[in-house]
Amino acid sequence: MIGRDGVAGLLGLAGSLVLLAATRGLPQPALVPIGPAFYPRIILAFTALLSAALVASDVLRRERPKPAPARYRLVVLTFAIFTAYVFALPWLGYRLATFAFVAGLQATLEPPRGRRWWLVLAVAILTALATYYIFEVYLSVLLPRGRLTGF
Amino acid sequence: MFSLLFVSLFEVMHLQYLVPLAIGTWAGLIGGAIPGVTITMTIILVLPFTFGLDPLQGLATMTGVYVGGCAGGLVSASLLGIPGTPSAIATTFDGFPMTRKGQPGRALWLGTWASAIGGLLGAIFLIGGTIPLAKFALQFGPWEYFSLFVFALAMVAGLTEKSLLKGFLSGAIGLVVTVIGADPIMAVPRLSFGSEFLRSGFQFLPILIGVFAFAQIMTDLEKAGGEEARAAGPIPDLSVSHLGVIWEILRRPFLLLWSTVIGVWIGVLPAIGGSAANVMAYDQAKKFSKHPEKFGTGIPEGIIAAESSNNANVAGSLVTIMAFGIPGDAVTAVMLGAMIIHGIQPGPLFIAQEPRVAYGIFAAYLLAHPIMIVLQWLGARFYLRVVSVPKSILTPIVLVFCVVGAYALNNIIENVYVLLLFGVVGYLLVKFGFPLAPLILGVILGDQIEINLVRALMTDADPWLFLTRPISGAMLALSALSVVLALWQHRRQYGRAPGPETVEPDF
Repeated sequence: MIGRDGVAGLLGLAGSLVLLAATRGLPQPALVPIGPAFYPRIILAFTALLSAALVASDVLRRERPKPAPARYRLVVLTFAIFTAYVFALPWLGYRLATFAFVAGLQATLEPPRGRRWWLVLAVAILTALATYYIFEVYLSVLLPRGRLTGF
Repeated sequence: MFSLLFVSLFEVMHLQYLVPLAIGTWAGLIGGAIPGVTITMTIILVLPFTFGLDPLQGLATMTGVYVGGCAGGLVSASLLGIPGTPSAIATTFDGFPMTRKGQPGRALWLGTWASAIGGLLGAIFLIGGTIPLAKFALQFGPWEYFSLFVFALAMVAGLTEKSLLKGFLSGAIGLVVTVIGADPIMAVPRLSFGSEFLRSGFQFLPILIGVFAFAQIMTDLEKAGGEEARAAGPIPDLSVSHLGVIWEILRRPFLLLWSTVIGVWIGVLPAIGGSAANVMAYDQAKKFSKHPEKFGTGIPEGIIAAESSNNANVAGSLVTIMAFGIPGDAVTAVMLGAMIIHGIQPGPLFIAQEPRVAYGIFAAYLLAHPIMIVLQWLGARFYLRVVSVPKSILTPIVLVFCVVGAYALNNIIENVYVLLLFGVVGYLLVKFGFPLAPLILGVILGDQIEINLVRALMTDADPWLFLTRPISGAMLALSALSVVLALWQHRRQYGRAPGPETVEPDF
């Protein structure tokens, strides 16, 4: 039975071995002794070695640390809402997507009741418009336009 | 040297530099005051606003954030008993008891003036020390640079508190990230798996933002589990005799100087950051005190030692960045990243090639301290109000800034996807108990490590030169020594108490 360190080590080992195998396709230049695969191979071999050592140390460990108590509901929801925001940006455009994201996440983190809805909406509108104005007008950053909305 | 410094001081006093510097300092004070928003995150959040500025304007802003952030942490540490940043932990020990004794103004201003005086004393070392150290570093060839970067990485990974192996693995993952994309010598795309975006590799800013912002925000959300709005109580009366407070600091010259020396020295060393300087200076002040039993009850010595050291630490860190081009910890790694984004490659040639910018940074550092005093005087009550803004409002706003910061780097949406990817990676690493500082250092130093390794081997294929060249050999010996010491410390620390422990995130 392996613990979290073992799982992390196995993931690291698998990832580094896959990438190490992928370096086999890299060309070896004829004129210089060191090619583009030279350094990645050293680093990936080192990573694989450390990952294997982490797995071994976990297997040999007699007692495993207890994870700190945590509540993941808000973390998962925040990641989900943020992912939706990131993928909505090119479709809805910065202003609309940001407004929806800020309002949605506020409502998720602290469900509003009664007049607090106005605060949620005001913060969302202000954030979307203020950041848009500062970056587009003052800092010349062309923020994403929506393919669906055209703005 | 002094003529250049005076010219730069006058230049930075022009409104076009002074305004960004003041805004940066102000942002640093606010970010530093909000518990959970570290100096690192404040620098990351402010950085995109400087993309359109010229390098000196941008770097003046970032210097202001760094100086302001160190001082901002003391507002919540002294007045609320919650350190706004890790570098204000020891400030809480005497700052908050002094506030509870009914002297909040004295606690706040002892810290603020000690920060400013300690920071300005540190400037003597920054200005006087950077140039000789940079001249020394000019003797470095690719062997020495490679070994220096390895030393920095070994120190940061080795000083990881929980697991040495995870510290090194975290650094190695950072290095792996940098091998994706074109190789720096022949520009052959590597490990891009056919992706056009990956052919040019990952930009480090979206990685920094993703890793730090998400690890911090999500860990806070776990603990909160819901809204934990801080009660916005009445703002205390912060009036105080400033001359009296300054006299209280200056009549302890040994304490002030010793704490400053500790701060600067810890700043110069890779791997040890402002929080260590803050705690170590406090500890030293207690050891040298005639009345150590009074520490923790709200005495001025505790606040002066803690605050003068953490601002002096900024000066020491800037020396290492500007002279050698190596960051000491996560905050300085982000500062180094900010310099690179503004087209500056810190290192020994930086001062010779870009004297205007280098001396401009010195000038910005010097001017940031009086600006910080003024802004603290104008806004301390306001910062306390900001601290009480609920997380449900702060979190989405911070995340929007993260998105804009990642996007604005090249105006491409793929950088936002990278932000999301590394946000997940950063959070998972924290959950698996990996420290993030070695990862970031690996990401920032990876290209330079490769370039110098390949250059050295192409100049002379003999790998023993890394060991036989004196400076390079010394650096590698120090790297090995730091690993051995770290192993010994871990064995000593954890060998005695093998029982289960609680996993806490380690940023």
